[in-house]
Amino acid sequence: MNITQILFWFLSVVALFSALMVITNKNPVYSVLWLIVTFFAISGHYILLNAQFLAIVNIIVYAGAIMVLFLFVIMLMNLNKETEPQKNRWLRMAGAVAGGCLLLVLVAALKDTDIKQQQAMVNGGSIGLIKNLGKELFTTYVVPFEISSILFLSAMVGAVVIGKKE
Amino acid sequence: MNALIISALLGVVMMFSSFLLKDRSTVRSMAIAGLLLLLVVNVLEMNGVEFFNINTRDMIVFDRFALLFNTIAFLSTLLYLLLSAKEMAKVGVYFADYLALIFFILCGVILVSSFKSLLILFLGIEIISIPLYILTGSDKRNLKSNEAALKYFLLGTFSTGLMLMGIALIYGAQGSFYSVDISKIAGETPSALLIAGMLLLFFSMSFKVSAAPFHFWTPDVYDGAPTVFTSFMATIVKAAVFVAFIRLFDEAFGLLHLQWQLLVAVITALTLFIGNITAVFQQSVKRMLAYSSIAQAGFMMLSLYAMNADAKEGLMLYVAAYSFATIGIFAVLIKMSDYTFEGFNGFAKHQPLLAATTTIFLLSLAGIPLTAGFLSKFYMLKAALGTGKHLWLVIVAVLMAAVSVYYYFRVIQAMYFKEGEGQPMEVSKPFKWTLVVLAALIILLGIFPNILLSWLYF
Repeated sequence: MNITQILFWFLSVVALFSALMVITNKNPVYSVLWLIVTFFAISGHYILLNAQFLAIVNIIVYAGAIMVLFLFVIMLMNLNKETEPQKNRWLRMAGAVAGGCLLLVLVAALKDTDIKQQQAMVNGGSIGLIKNLGKELFTTYVVPFEISSILFLSAMVGAVVIGKKE
Repeated sequence: MNALIISALLGVVMMFSSFLLKDRSTVRSMAIAGLLLLLVVNVLEMNGVEFFNINTRDMIVFDRFALLFNTIAFLSTLLYLLLSAKEMAKVGVYFADYLALIFFILCGVILVSSFKSLLILFLGIEIISIPLYILTGSDKRNLKSNEAALKYFLLGTFSTGLMLMGIALIYGAQGSFYSVDISKIAGETPSALLIAGMLLLFFSMSFKVSAAPFHFWTPDVYDGAPTVFTSFMATIVKAAVFVAFIRLFDEAFGLLHLQWQLLVAVITALTLFIGNITAVFQQSVKRMLAYSSIAQAGFMMLSLYAMNADAKEGLMLYVAAYSFATIGIFAVLIKMSDYTFEGFNGFAKHQPLLAATTTIFLLSLAGIPLTAGFLSKFYMLKAALGTGKHLWLVIVAVLMAAVSVYYYFRVIQAMYFKEGEGQPMEVSKPFKWTLVVLAALIILLGIFPNILLSWLYF
């Protein structure tokens, strides 16, 4: 077992454990904190896959900005025991069965697939550096890149429409 | 490509006009002129005139199918704006911004009708969805509108998440976003990863077109949203997503047709059944139209099930017939203050012209001969019969079409055979004439469907 494998297993265990803690914790603030741990573990995975830029963006945007927003919202909502909605037992069972079915299908699908080796370069390679990413983004994917500007523009117009006082 | 760039620019222009122009009627005429321009450049592109030469690396390809659909979508939007743009101003103060959002949605419509790469499909669906969430919640003082927007947003983003997961799995299996590459390797033995991805995509697209059992959001959202925007959502947007659905499953998963055909048949039957049976029990015409849109989605699903030449022609005709008729009914409904069936009592006495055109729209939706609705349903059933399998599906479809006659005729009965005071309505001359044009279009398509369909080939 070399260092990459040890790191991989360590990060996987951390990611899975913290993800489980997110959904089992009763206190939403703890959930958010555990979610940050999950994001860090996943960023670690990105680095192992030579996607350095993605890893940094994941930490800055998700673990940083978005999680702070989450915390703010949760604190502003002032959640406590009384406001928690009572869930029907049957509804919970139905949710567990439906989610379990999805898990079963995905596990069955992922169990015996041959991972295409050439797609994930593990050792060496500078694929994930900003230079290469930018080159790809502005040559191969320049049309979708430009089109996504329409998406952001419409989202901004929408934010103004929803947010501004009448 | 013409229409894509120009509609994006028009969106920006409308955005700026929201604070540069104070006069609403100028903004409205600008939007209508813009749509006319869009229609013209799109028709020009069909005849081989392209203003922009952009190398999209085959991610977006404007073939005849896409261009014809775009023409139908622009024409419907034009008629929609002519009929209902004034009502938009009553929803809130951001009249020009609503129009800007509608132009952005049209960008998404163009993208999803012409994508060759899943990346563009995803972008298109998002560009359609995000402005729609906002338009749904644009009536800010109305609690129902807020509730509808939140519901739509939460469920819509969830289904987009499913779609992304599906695209990721497909990329993992095939190593490409292009539908050509996805179909190429799928011919041999499809890997389980590909199938799982395909199913996730299928579920998320079914959600977007509100096929049962993914339809639960539809009645609440359509009912809660301001009626002007419900009209847009239920017609042009739904039709566009259907075209994307057909395109995706034809081009990317066409070789796996036999694997997913039964699944589509079951979902189609379920959609037809739930949509039609629930529509029977509605008391509000707006909610009835929401369920009727689910039922009509069931008929459009038949083209996905059959996936042959008839199905594609039929879908084009269906999209046109359904959009025109539904836009017309909603345009009349917006003018009313009482949305229940009783509100239509005695309508024919007070507004004879409006009642007559509404009757034509309802007959077309029900699929009565001489209207476009009849021929489009006929094409769908013919396509489904053409597969030579699952005859029960065709029988279910015919039975459900018969059920649909009941709730559409309830409105006609209320209009003509019941006494009522009628509601005070402001109806202008141009409004009446546009409705007449719309009704004439429906009858014209019902007699000569080839004036539309021949565009697919020549």
